[in-house]
Amino acid sequence: MSDPLLVVDQLTMHFPVRKGLLRRVVGAVRAVDNVSFSIARGQTLGLVGESGCGKTTVGRSILRLLPPTAGSVHFDGLDVLAQSPRALRAMRRRMQIVFQDPYGSLNPRLSVRSILEEGLIVHRMGDAAERLHRMTTALDRTGMQAGCLDRYPHEFSGGQRQRIAIARALVLEPDFLVLDEPISALDVSIQAQVVNLLVTLREDLGLTYLFISHDLSVIEYVSDHVAVMYLGRIVEQSPAERLYAEPLHPYTLALFSAVPSIDPARRRGRIVLPGDVPSPSRPPSGCRFHPRCPLAETICRDIDPPGVTVDGHLVHCHVAARELDRAGGNASSAALRMAELVAETLDKSASEDSLASPSH
Amino acid sequence: MPLLEIKNLVTAFHTPAGRVPAVDGVSLSINRGTTLGLVGESGCGKSVTALSILRLVSAPGVIESGEILLENGRSTQNLVTLGERELCRVRGGRIGMIFQEPMTSLNPVFTLGDQIAEAVHLHEKVSRAEARLRSLEMLKLVRMADPEQRLHEYPHQLSGGMRQRVMIAMALVCRPDLVIADEPTTALDVTIQAQILDLLSAVRKRLSTAILLITHDLGVVAETCDEVAVMYAGKIVERAPTAELFSRPLHPYTIGLIAARPTPGASRSVPLRTIPGMVPLPHNFPSGCRFHPRCAYAQFPRCQTEPAELREVTPGHFVRCHFAGELDVPHNH
Repeated sequence: MSDPLLVVDQLTMHFPVRKGLLRRVVGAVRAVDNVSFSIARGQTLGLVGESGCGKTTVGRSILRLLPPTAGSVHFDGLDVLAQSPRALRAMRRRMQIVFQDPYGSLNPRLSVRSILEEGLIVHRMGDAAERLHRMTTALDRTGMQAGCLDRYPHEFSGGQRQRIAIARALVLEPDFLVLDEPISALDVSIQAQVVNLLVTLREDLGLTYLFISHDLSVIEYVSDHVAVMYLGRIVEQSPAERLYAEPLHPYTLALFSAVPSIDPARRRGRIVLPGDVPSPSRPPSGCRFHPRCPLAETICRDIDPPGVTVDGHLVHCHVAARELDRAGGNASSAALRMAELVAETLDKSASEDSLASPSH
Repeated sequence: MPLLEIKNLVTAFHTPAGRVPAVDGVSLSINRGTTLGLVGESGCGKSVTALSILRLVSAPGVIESGEILLENGRSTQNLVTLGERELCRVRGGRIGMIFQEPMTSLNPVFTLGDQIAEAVHLHEKVSRAEARLRSLEMLKLVRMADPEQRLHEYPHQLSGGMRQRVMIAMALVCRPDLVIADEPTTALDVTIQAQILDLLSAVRKRLSTAILLITHDLGVVAETCDEVAVMYAGKIVERAPTAELFSRPLHPYTIGLIAARPTPGASRSVPLRTIPGMVPLPHNFPSGCRFHPRCAYAQFPRCQTEPAELREVTPGHFVRCHFAGELDVPHNH
């Protein structure tokens, strides 16, 4: 793609595990492992996965809120990880973040005015009058009144606080926004309001988003491209419509089928994955998904599947790679075949499995 | 006779700021072996309704009026007026409960085996060995891996999904007729949620337990419940069999909730349909119909001045709206 705004290459984040009096490093939590993606200007990449998959860590590493263990991040051609503190500060004006918890991300001791003004003062954006103008503009854009400047976070509802958090991110006129589960903590009827707001702002202000969420319906709605993460790795990545229409990775298939739906047609063939997500401090060998995968083979246990890309659709799976090969590179056919294979395997195990019968 | 019948329940909190009617005249009934979904957003009163059934509402909350009738052979017991001793027999014995946050509902200093066995000891006269055996059986029933090992483990050693299985085991160990599940999967990942819902469904079939499922997730309700009741601002605003509610929602709030979720394949150029405004706080509910300030179909002055009654619009389908059935509402799914 021409001139992407953000390029992430082999991003890796390992947190050391220390034990004992001497705090010796005994292991590592491999939160993020070799994650690569890029986002073009004005586009939205949806990063989806369940808890512990590393998506929040990716968001924070990009902004250098956490120092990556390895890999690179380039923002508008500049190497984020190589910037001096002063240059990084200037860069951070252009890269902002909205957090998940509207109750934890606003300082309860600061008025809304102080919260919004802080960034403007740090970046020396204008005198008092101009700062006020920027703040009221940002509030107005997020549907909040100027009158809330002199109030405190506790006086607002969750949805309103999230609007304030968005205004805080916007007041510096950034190019890029990391949205880390921005609506999960909100009621359903408020989620739709905030989603509409984010989409409008993106169109009006030409913003680029990294939208992190576990909510598949919302990700599908807001994203141009989607990357699915599992245990620190990207397992599948493609343009949004393609991913939802033709998922290739067994985990993606399971994830989509697990979402409870109002529509009866979507409920057929529910894939229920066994077991829990393993700990990122002791990831499985080979393909990290293999212990829970209905299609796992010997090779999956031994070798980490390399990425295979067809028409901009990337997948890390031995079985999917084989099916793509058989289908002559036709992702649609391969996806159908993957869905069939999963269904066949689960039908077989369903007939063997029965509810344990207690003696009472 | 229904297994449980709630009649005009009013539970209010007497706070320094005034009287807050969290549950304001709620009536529900659950038949044996069926699942009723109670759905609504935060602050609507659904959790307080559940806690009221077992009289678990803490001060300053008080059940002010109404009846909660539990079928008892040929007659019924009113749980609101039942003596404390009898009520303890009902709790865990005839009605089990699964709470939302398994992290905070399990006692961190006791083993899982002890916690499940405790429920047995409270209701039946059995030896410790017998109680342990029952605990083991339940862990197998809820498909827990390595159940013998788990009996000796502590809650912090388990993942969220596993802790929830233990909660389910505890709620079921005395074979109650009804299980109240308060947002049992909200704190869990979606693939774990699928496991737990699958388990609840299998267990329900096996033990013929009735379930009162409280949630804000319409998808969960659509998949697991026979009947649905929608709550708003302390009242039931719509109640119907599940298929009927989702194919023909009649209350503007229900219609709004269903429409607010992005439908698969929806074009981004079309904004999501929203319910404007916010859920009202119980301190000052709107006059007349409590939903009127947010309602696209509100007609003045009636909706603002006159509260609506819950009416049966079609057989089994109840709606609290002056204009239910007459509104020109889009059915877009």
